[in-house]
Amino acid sequence: MAGHDESETSGRKESEEIDVPIFSAENMQSNMKVIYYSRTFMSIIGGVIAGILGFTGLTGFVIYFLVMAITSIGLIAKTGFSIHSYFIGWSQIILDGFLGGLMSFVLFWTFAYDIVHIF
Amino acid sequence: MAEDLVLDTAIRDWVLIPLSVVMVLIGVLRYFVSKLMRSAQIPDAKLVKEGQVIVRARNLRAAANFIPPKSFRARRLYYSNEENGLLYVPKGQAPNAQAQMFSDPNMAMDMMKKNLSMIIPQTLTFAWVNFFFSGFVAAKIPFPLTQRFRAMLQNGIDLSTVDVSYVSSRSWYFLNLFGLRGLFSIILGEENATDDTQRMMQMTGFGFDPTKSLGAEKDGLDIVQHDWTMPKFERRAEAVLRKLVR
Repeated sequence: MAGHDESETSGRKESEEIDVPIFSAENMQSNMKVIYYSRTFMSIIGGVIAGILGFTGLTGFVIYFLVMAITSIGLIAKTGFSIHSYFIGWSQIILDGFLGGLMSFVLFWTFAYDIVHIF
Repeated sequence: MAEDLVLDTAIRDWVLIPLSVVMVLIGVLRYFVSKLMRSAQIPDAKLVKEGQVIVRARNLRAAANFIPPKSFRARRLYYSNEENGLLYVPKGQAPNAQAQMFSDPNMAMDMMKKNLSMIIPQTLTFAWVNFFFSGFVAAKIPFPLTQRFRAMLQNGIDLSTVDVSYVSSRSWYFLNLFGLRGLFSIILGEENATDDTQRMMQMTGFGFDPTKSLGAEKDGLDIVQHDWTMPKFERRAEAVLRKLVR
């Protein structure tokens, strides 16, 4: 892959030359933990909001995905838009734990919705 | 007809909210009780040693490309040669982990305590919910579901005319049981979550076999393709410096 780049003198191809993954596993794990926590937290908050506003059916699930997308954007902004210094790839920050908070979301959505609306 | 089911606000105040609050508090209580009951066990010196060897071998594997080929070969030989390598386990000498586990009464005791601290509160809460709140329609989930979910959501109500999205109090208990896991991991820290998985592992797989992971690590080390990256790094440094100079 880097074979024909060897005579390159400019630094343009430097990212291609070094394709060794250089990362610390512990820091990586701690970053993943942060993602997991923020997603759980946001899904609980999002559930309460969706319940209080009285969303039902598909709209509520749309809210969930919206909240998750906002979380992803927030996390990306937190990394200062340089994901590769914190995570391996884009998919990790956007997709990891995407459905993990769904159960919490449904529970708190139902809880808030019931307290506010059906009685 | 099922759509305009009117629920008394007293159900909300005296069933729905207390049930959820009690579930949360019991989860917190369980966490602290299991923390108190956990006995500090003195780790077996041999097991710790083997674990450290595995960590060292893993570090070598991860950082293999940062040392020269000769150094890497020497280290690999140190770990995995067939005579006295650290990762090499002679055939018949592997101790039976299962037997070892059973011979240690402390281990079994610890496991039982952990299991009990999980089962007892759950049984008690379930009995409590059954006794006080059986037969209530306590909640309504805000999305429609098919008839298939009736058994899951209307546990304790034997009416086929009620809309499926109404939830009985007993099923609300189950929903809480599963849905509050995320909340617990936030308010109690991840120790709670890892504890659960460890418990699962102990219940099903009976711990792990250290000799097996030694062998696996040895195989992993044997198949590492060594490729020294230092020359590349020199080129990269050159490029960076040139950029700085320019």
